[in-house]
Amino acid sequence: MMNKKELMNNKYFIAALFLLPAVIFSLVYLIIPIPLSTYYSFFKWDGIGAMEFLGLENWSKLLSDPIFWSSMANNFKLVLISLVVQIPIALFLAVLLTRKIKGANFFKTIFFVPMLLSSIAVAFLWRYMYDPTFGLINGFLNLVGLEQLTRSWLGDSNIAFYSASAPIQWRFIPLYMIIFMAAISNIPKQLYEAAEIDGANNWQSFFYVTLPMLRSTVVNASVLIIVGSLKYFAMIFALTGGGPNHASELMATYLYTKSFTEMNMGYGSTISVALFLVALIVSVVFLNFSKKDVRN
Amino acid sequence: MKKFSILSLALLMVISLFSVTVMAQDEVNLTLWDIRTASDQVTPALENAIERFEADNPNVNIEHVPTQNDNYKTKLRTAMSADNAPDLFMTWGSASLERYVDADKVYSLESHMTEDWESNFMPAAMDLGRVDGEMYGVPVTNVSPALVWYRTDLFEEYGLEVPETYEDLKNVVKTFTDNGITPFALANKNKWTGSMYFMYLADRIGGPEALQQAISREGSFNDEAFIEAGRRIQELVEMGAFPDGVNGLDEDAGQSRTLLYTDRAAMYLMGSWAYSSFKNEAPDMLDQFSFFNFPEVESGKGDPSNLVGTPGDNYYSVSTKAGNKEVAVEFLKYLTDAKMGEELINIGNIPPFTGISEKIDDPIMEKIYNSSQEANHIQLWYDQTLPLEIAQVHLNTTQALFGMEMTPEEAANQMEEAAQEYYGE
Amino acid sequence: MMINKLKQLVIYLFLLIWLLITGYPLVFLVQNSFKIRMEFFRNPVWSLPESFTFQNYIEVMESGFYMYFINSIIVCFISVAIIIIVSALASYAISRIDFKFNKIVYILFLAGMMIPIHSTLIPIYKLTLSMGLYDRLSALIGPYVAFSLPISVFILTGFINDIPYELEEAAIIDGASRFRIFRDIILPLVKPAIATVAIYNLTLLWNQFAYALVLTSSPSKRILTLGLFEFQGQHGINIPLTLTALFLSVLPLILLYVFLQEHIIKGMTAGALKG
Repeated sequence: MMNKKELMNNKYFIAALFLLPAVIFSLVYLIIPIPLSTYYSFFKWDGIGAMEFLGLENWSKLLSDPIFWSSMANNFKLVLISLVVQIPIALFLAVLLTRKIKGANFFKTIFFVPMLLSSIAVAFLWRYMYDPTFGLINGFLNLVGLEQLTRSWLGDSNIAFYSASAPIQWRFIPLYMIIFMAAISNIPKQLYEAAEIDGANNWQSFFYVTLPMLRSTVVNASVLIIVGSLKYFAMIFALTGGGPNHASELMATYLYTKSFTEMNMGYGSTISVALFLVALIVSVVFLNFSKKDVRN
Repeated sequence: MKKFSILSLALLMVISLFSVTVMAQDEVNLTLWDIRTASDQVTPALENAIERFEADNPNVNIEHVPTQNDNYKTKLRTAMSADNAPDLFMTWGSASLERYVDADKVYSLESHMTEDWESNFMPAAMDLGRVDGEMYGVPVTNVSPALVWYRTDLFEEYGLEVPETYEDLKNVVKTFTDNGITPFALANKNKWTGSMYFMYLADRIGGPEALQQAISREGSFNDEAFIEAGRRIQELVEMGAFPDGVNGLDEDAGQSRTLLYTDRAAMYLMGSWAYSSFKNEAPDMLDQFSFFNFPEVESGKGDPSNLVGTPGDNYYSVSTKAGNKEVAVEFLKYLTDAKMGEELINIGNIPPFTGISEKIDDPIMEKIYNSSQEANHIQLWYDQTLPLEIAQVHLNTTQALFGMEMTPEEAANQMEEAAQEYYGE
Repeated sequence: MMINKLKQLVIYLFLLIWLLITGYPLVFLVQNSFKIRMEFFRNPVWSLPESFTFQNYIEVMESGFYMYFINSIIVCFISVAIIIIVSALASYAISRIDFKFNKIVYILFLAGMMIPIHSTLIPIYKLTLSMGLYDRLSALIGPYVAFSLPISVFILTGFINDIPYELEEAAIIDGASRFRIFRDIILPLVKPAIATVAIYNLTLLWNQFAYALVLTSSPSKRILTLGLFEFQGQHGINIPLTLTALFLSVLPLILLYVFLQEHIIKGMTAGALKG
């Protein structure tokens, strides 16, 4: 009895108890694949037959593989686009919807729909939006006399990546919208009242009250966006398969094509370990910077 | 805390509920993996074969697990990788089968190949099921050559004849573009679709030898025939022979055929399965479709009767892990019997079985059958002939040719580099 | 007064534009679900169906859709329940118990967010086989929970960090155990964040299919997202049928969201994602 009580007062033991379930799940399903992938990255292996040791050959090939570098560049572009598009729009919508307006609930529901649809459904819709002959976008441009702006949105390698990125923005804005909405309605009303007494208009109270109060929410949302964009896969794969000619290739689509289409599991594993390292470094750096800023 | 442990206990119980499986003793359970989903035209015939087999062998139960094409490949590769193959599975023959044979995952059917059964198959189709002279997979579906399908009514409207030479074809292309019609319906996001043009042009220019020599390394992948094929593709692209944004259109979503059905495109180079697509998607237009062989290139070496395609589309195999191999092989016999052949013909599929010619009464199917019989040479799809590593480069560079993102020389040199790397030169 | 009205008008204008942009997909799914296969290819996809036929709905319902649906519900709901419990426990320890390795453990969980799903397929497949879970619905729960954990821990830790420590101090002085503090003080306060975690993970898991593709085999174990591929053959796809299935598969989520919305938003109003 005494022993048990002592044990329950030991913070290391208690911390271990609290962490145990999460650690088990992570260890079994998340942690094991990393050393395993690292191991595979030293071999030539099709995933089925015998493994042939290559040493660092896959890694030196990766470093001089232009497609890997351009796909990583695309990932970083996606991070930037997503930060610049999703956060402001989500914030804007959240501010609008937290005002007292009629029908807010209806808008909130419909605005969330893109998040509920599967990537397969979203890719379907956008494929027909982009169809050069029958698509809505070119149809609309023709209608308003902007024929010169019509494009083959997914077939032109100069713009395919941006076209395929649009539905990603469209799909994830609602998520950040509801997160911001909740955070906004959580800001104490007294702050706004005080600002009003000081003679602040709507814009001023947004910049001097809302935005500073949302700071940590925005930082966390940014981390989710950064990580999500660095390992993004679904919609790009469905819409362009990384093409044409790797123009919209991302690290994750490249790793999938290498591992499962070309059955080069060794090289695919090399890409996946690289992806993991890049994403980890970027988010740790970002978190450190943003945390330091808060303290200043 | 108590609440939580009770909750997690309840969850554990729910989980273990799923784990209960019952299996009787003397029953034989076989699992069959393939791509025959609900919307696949072959599915009813396959399911009938299973039913017939189960009726004749009441102790056998075959579980059919269909998975959509692309997903199927991932699923099968993962299972094979962990040595957990299903009892029966499907491949596309040749290279796709060889890999699993090399890794000892496939049971050899050689000892079961009685003369009777063997004579059931077209010899060319059987070759793709053989690895090192032994039979590992039996062909079940479709003799499928790629053919130039065309809208007969549009050809008539513009007074056009079926083109016999590449120059004729260019005239046809010009007439259509002048009249605002896209000559070829093509959706090339999928890459294998555009590859058909390359394969035909390479054959017509350099003959079947060009590829054979490149593979045997007497020749190379940057030989003139391949470069010239690339040039002609880009010539057609520049003439406007293909739809806008061709590399962004998806064949699986039917973005090519839509153009054909809505009078916006006139021709469609596609495997003979296109005929079943027309039947399903535009039955009232069926008599407006016909096909011709890819035209000949003047001064080229290839015979215009040569076809690109496959003598057998899907091959069914027994895995070395199969619980009861005898029963599994017996089932394969049902899958390739006369009844199955009839049902396949009914859906517009030409089974790779002998003695089917008299059963075909549809004129288009008869024409397909005849042209594949008359072909001087049938070139198997490059992406199945070539080792996977080179095949992917072929698909990617050909797509880039259509996008005008690579010169024919660059594309050919990339192919040759990949080949040299693969063959360790 | 005038200015206020004008403001309202501008706000509604923005909302209406966004309504069109986000609401149209549903209209698209519904309008094309009534078409027949031939019609889809022959008419522009934006056109209204020639006649309203429920043929596609009947066909989808007859394809085992109902069973896939139940499977999806079982797997997703059990997974989300486990995710909530496990991640709340871990977040509490990371945020509140000083065991020296807090930061390292936190970073390790963060690292979990960076792992690409496709590089885990083969390792997890082998693991599932060796645990004897292959071709069972329960095989999906492990990977689902593990992949949702990092983000959930990230959100919840940030949230718990924000809760004033004073609330617990009194309880600690009273000699309450950590578990009681967790259950009676922390858990009620993080409800809003739990709502965020639940809806976020539910929408992602509902649409997941890579694990189900490789870890299950029998049709009786199939989940909804895999069922959607049933209408795609080797050389062709029945698009209206696929769209019908897509619409039917998203419908329950929309209904659930409408039903829970008041609850969720109200719940999140107490605090939301903070860092």
